[in-house]
Amino acid sequence: MPDMIFLALSAVVVASAVFALEAKELIYGTIGLGVSLVGVAGLFMLLGAEYLAMFQVAVYVGAVVVLILFTIMLVRRESGRIVDEEEPASFGSVGIYVAALVALAVAGAVILLAPVSPVAPEFYQVQLQDLGRSLAASYGVALVILGLVIGAAVVGGLTLVKIDREEKPSGTTE
Amino acid sequence: MTQLQVLPGLQEMVDSLVKIVTSRTFLEIVIFPGLLNVLLSVAFLTWLERKIIARVQLRIGPLYAGIWGVLQPIADFVKLLFKEMISPELADVKLLMLCALGLMMLAAAPIVTIPFGEAFVIANMDIGLIFVFAVMSLFPSVLLLIGWGSNSKYSFLGGLRSLFQQVAYEIPMWLSVLGIVMLTGTLNLAEIVRAQQKVWFVIPQVLGFAVFFTAALAELERTPFDLPEAETELVMGWMTELSGAAFMVGFMAMYTKFYVMSALITTLFLGGWLGPAIIPEPIWVVLKTFLVAVVIVTIRGTFPRVRVDILLRTGWMRLLLLALVNIVVTVILIWLGLGWVWRV
Amino acid sequence: MALGSWSLVAIFELVILVTTVSLLAFGWLMGAKGKNPIRDAPFESGQTRLGEARLRYMMQYYPYLIMYVAFDVIAMFLFTWGLVFATLPFAQEYLFLIFVAILVVPLWYALHISGRRDLW
Repeated sequence: MPDMIFLALSAVVVASAVFALEAKELIYGTIGLGVSLVGVAGLFMLLGAEYLAMFQVAVYVGAVVVLILFTIMLVRRESGRIVDEEEPASFGSVGIYVAALVALAVAGAVILLAPVSPVAPEFYQVQLQDLGRSLAASYGVALVILGLVIGAAVVGGLTLVKIDREEKPSGTTE
Repeated sequence: MTQLQVLPGLQEMVDSLVKIVTSRTFLEIVIFPGLLNVLLSVAFLTWLERKIIARVQLRIGPLYAGIWGVLQPIADFVKLLFKEMISPELADVKLLMLCALGLMMLAAAPIVTIPFGEAFVIANMDIGLIFVFAVMSLFPSVLLLIGWGSNSKYSFLGGLRSLFQQVAYEIPMWLSVLGIVMLTGTLNLAEIVRAQQKVWFVIPQVLGFAVFFTAALAELERTPFDLPEAETELVMGWMTELSGAAFMVGFMAMYTKFYVMSALITTLFLGGWLGPAIIPEPIWVVLKTFLVAVVIVTIRGTFPRVRVDILLRTGWMRLLLLALVNIVVTVILIWLGLGWVWRV
Repeated sequence: MALGSWSLVAIFELVILVTTVSLLAFGWLMGAKGKNPIRDAPFESGQTRLGEARLRYMMQYYPYLIMYVAFDVIAMFLFTWGLVFATLPFAQEYLFLIFVAILVVPLWYALHISGRRDLW
């Protein structure tokens, strides 16, 4: 049963990612990206990381996709179509070969290195309390540094926007 | 002979279908506290709101459809179903329909985790609270898509305002609940209700309650935060270009969210199904939920609207700071050794 | 098994989906039909449509979205930490308080900026 769900979720992730790349309208592409990320959250849940799946939805689909949508909607030309994409990928382009090579390498690694087990591995649900305790115990200082990094990112973002606006109504001091 | 062999398989299927349909879970999903409860509560809330606003404004409100106008929501429902679903030129009708559908599904989703009794919850998730947050975080993007897809100035501006408003008040709402999580050590909504057996969380977490209540008002786009829907400015905000059944679905989604948010406030801060045993537990939840709804509706009739930049600044700066202060207060509470009161 | 709750959520969502789709379909089929250009024009309080609808409206609030992403991630760590807060030894509880205190800095900075420009 989990295998069927896994296959279905993987199909959703890949199909919506392909749709996101190939969509004519950028907005539809972003919606495809959102669906793909929700599929990834489903895969997290299959691996037993419920909490991570929920925050994957909240952070990626709820925040990052919103950011992308907002940017597309407000910073673009009239129609939102990519005008210069008339030429389809030819067989001489490097991208296809690189992608095929990477796919072969990953497939080979999985086939050769993965242990052969006739029984599906046990489903282990990560206990959130254990996660919290180990985060606090082993990674407490790292989390504080992470807080500093995120704080710096926010301050940097605010400063960047501040500099962008050259036209000030009255002369304000820096 | 082959025809007789088909029948046993059909009989099995019918049997299992009957078993599913009459199973307690399915009944819970469809009747109470699921679909029927949501639909009836939404209808009742629209009537309640119109009556209370009318009384606040010294009028009477719906009067003719049934006793005291109770059947008015039904009349509106039937009327909207038969109205034309105008598909505006330049608008992306498929996107609008899809997003209206998605809005209704998102708005109703958290009801599965809200406990209506000691063992009366559709899906008892260990991360119930985070599930609610994840679902709520998907709203701004859907509203933005509806606003953009309508391709009308009122809709787009309303959608943008909705986006920024809900995004701004999302974080204070989450952080104001962190105090409760710290005191009970669980994210399970049923456990949180059970932890309030001695004292409801509205008392030790009064700051968190204030922040959550205010942020919920902003999430619901209700006055004093109803700028996206300011009727004198933006007609209906992101709902301007929806009409007929699509408008009904959008309207229902808004009131479903109202109901779910009130039920959430009841569960988190007002003790959920706890109360003297003369009244059965689910009735307690319904009563408290509608009490919260009445307060929210009365606030709508009483307060003026907040300007958009003040709105965003209040959400980001002041409410966030208050939520952080609430966290510090909770830490002090735990250090004073009072944490045992709410430990399950 | 935890996956059980999620299938219930899926079933509930399916029920809501069926209900809403049938409402929309009913409205589409039974609703009045009158396609003419006046009815289909976007609503602009009576005037004919003038200019583009999708302009750069609230661009100056863009930093709020950036802050949302950052604080969303922080909320994830705060909840993980806060869940086990009462059971932690004192040193780690202090770390939590320091984490919360660090968050105040970008907030203070944003408040500081917002007071000095009237575009915020």
